[in-house]
Amino acid sequence: MKLLKNLFDGLKPQFEKGGKLEKFHTLYEGHRTIVFAPDITTGKKGTQIKDAVDLKRVMFTVVIAMIPCLLFGIWNVGHQHFISTGVEGSLVDKLLIGALAVIPILIVSYAVGLITEFVFCVVRQHPVSEGFLVTGMLIPLVMPPTIPLWQVALATIFAVVIGKEAFGGTGMNILNVALTARAFLYFAYPSQISGEVWTFFGDAQPVDGYSGATVLAYGASAAQNGTDMMADMAGHWYAGMFDFWNMFVGVIPGSIGETSTLMCLLGALILVGTGVGSWKIIFSVFSGAYLMGLLFNMIGGNSFLELPAHYHLVIGGLAFGAVYMATDPVSAAQTETGKWIYGFLIGVLTVLIRVVNPAYPEGIMLAILFMNVFAPLIDYYVVDANKKRRLKRATI
Amino acid sequence: MDIFNIALKATFIDNMIFAYFLGMCSFLAVSKKVSTAFGLGMAVVFVLTITTPVNWLLQEFVLKEGALKWMGASFETVDLTFLQFIMFIAVIASMVQLVEMVIEKFSPALYGSLGIFLPLIAVNCSILGASLFMVQRDYTIAQATAYGFGSGLGWFLAIIALAAIRERLKYSHVPAGLKGLGITMLITGLMGLAFKSFIGIAL
Repeated sequence: MKLLKNLFDGLKPQFEKGGKLEKFHTLYEGHRTIVFAPDITTGKKGTQIKDAVDLKRVMFTVVIAMIPCLLFGIWNVGHQHFISTGVEGSLVDKLLIGALAVIPILIVSYAVGLITEFVFCVVRQHPVSEGFLVTGMLIPLVMPPTIPLWQVALATIFAVVIGKEAFGGTGMNILNVALTARAFLYFAYPSQISGEVWTFFGDAQPVDGYSGATVLAYGASAAQNGTDMMADMAGHWYAGMFDFWNMFVGVIPGSIGETSTLMCLLGALILVGTGVGSWKIIFSVFSGAYLMGLLFNMIGGNSFLELPAHYHLVIGGLAFGAVYMATDPVSAAQTETGKWIYGFLIGVLTVLIRVVNPAYPEGIMLAILFMNVFAPLIDYYVVDANKKRRLKRATI
Repeated sequence: MDIFNIALKATFIDNMIFAYFLGMCSFLAVSKKVSTAFGLGMAVVFVLTITTPVNWLLQEFVLKEGALKWMGASFETVDLTFLQFIMFIAVIASMVQLVEMVIEKFSPALYGSLGIFLPLIAVNCSILGASLFMVQRDYTIAQATAYGFGSGLGWFLAIIALAAIRERLKYSHVPAGLKGLGITMLITGLMGLAFKSFIGIAL
């Protein structure tokens, strides 16, 4: 610590007003505050600030909450590789294979995103903010492990520049930045990100009867060709793969971080416990999806519509999106009543897109983006209703 | 059910703004405040719901080839389709005039804030667009009304959502070169991305 302090103190004069590197002051300050709190203190008189819960700490909390998902994702990537090639692997092997696939994506996402961010900070002279720490972690977690790295880089640049910096940086974007990156790839390079993306690595031979189909792919086939989804799930080449509890724990193919509902709930516990994420949004997304599932059960027609509603909560990226993306305080509704409406509609739309729209197997990404667009409107009308109610109470 | 589906499809799936890019000028220009956007949106819904069936009648009994049969046998081969554009626009313009008078009478404040854009609804492409699409798709009169209403509703939703976003954007720090229309275009693009959620649903 002493060494770091000396390093930063030694560099300080160069970055201060009149120093040689004055232009890069924002970069210096951004890095210094990762280890040391800002050394500005409140005055002796007037308002005193005891605990400065700043953006940095909030963002780091979210990153910590994502670590269970990341670690589980790394293990699962390796685990799925061994399952589909039919080879026995030890825990270390699985972690190694997983890390080999996941870490490069993580590095590319952080490196490219931070460079873009730094360029904007220096040119526009706004402080480096920590928003990207979360985005840079979210982007790899919503990508399939087989995604080409240049696509990750391209999507990250698009999301940071168009989705965030064009609006003035962290806290001013209208759509969730990580989801903008994913949506960009989804529409620009659909073949790498959708369909049977999840396979094994290298030249290994898959086991007999292997197929990369996910639960949602079975669902889409049930909706279009009238196949029996439950029978498909039970008859998967790897026995018990799409068992309810197995899907809850998340030992299934999918994007890196989103398979495990259990790990997402663990993350939700951290987020809600520290007061960073809104439990109202998380809860209402799940209940919206569940009620929509029940409604479809009542309508019936094909085996995807008749899928028991609680299955909808564990398949696909619903839990991941609900916990880490819908709760994004910037793009979500900001009024308390608004949060209920916002979350509920995300849940409803997710299941609706999943089941009814043949163009997309999963709906959580587009449902959150759609509600991001309408969040300011929800807020506007909630505030408006509030004003009207209070005006009525007022007497002159 | 069929009518309901057509309205739903026009609202979300074939949204006038995000699927056909129609009516962009007033969409971009009158979306600075939610209250104004709400007024204009309602006016567009109203005008669309009225003009589409009126134009349908016109098309069916005057303009289409053989439509003038009711006037006598000698009119059976008359084809007035070449008058379609001008007739449709005349209907739209007179409807807009009507709406303008109603708004001026009942809500002078809204009338003032809509300004030039109220008469400009007459040349809002989404309104003529809806009439032409209705002809192209061979709708019945009920379907045409539903289609007009749905299209208007889609446009209305799009413009108030954009207005709410732009009101929030007051607090953001948009680069100087992008301020105003530039960032609005970007937002429209991003909204289009979100609206893609429904494209592909077959009703």
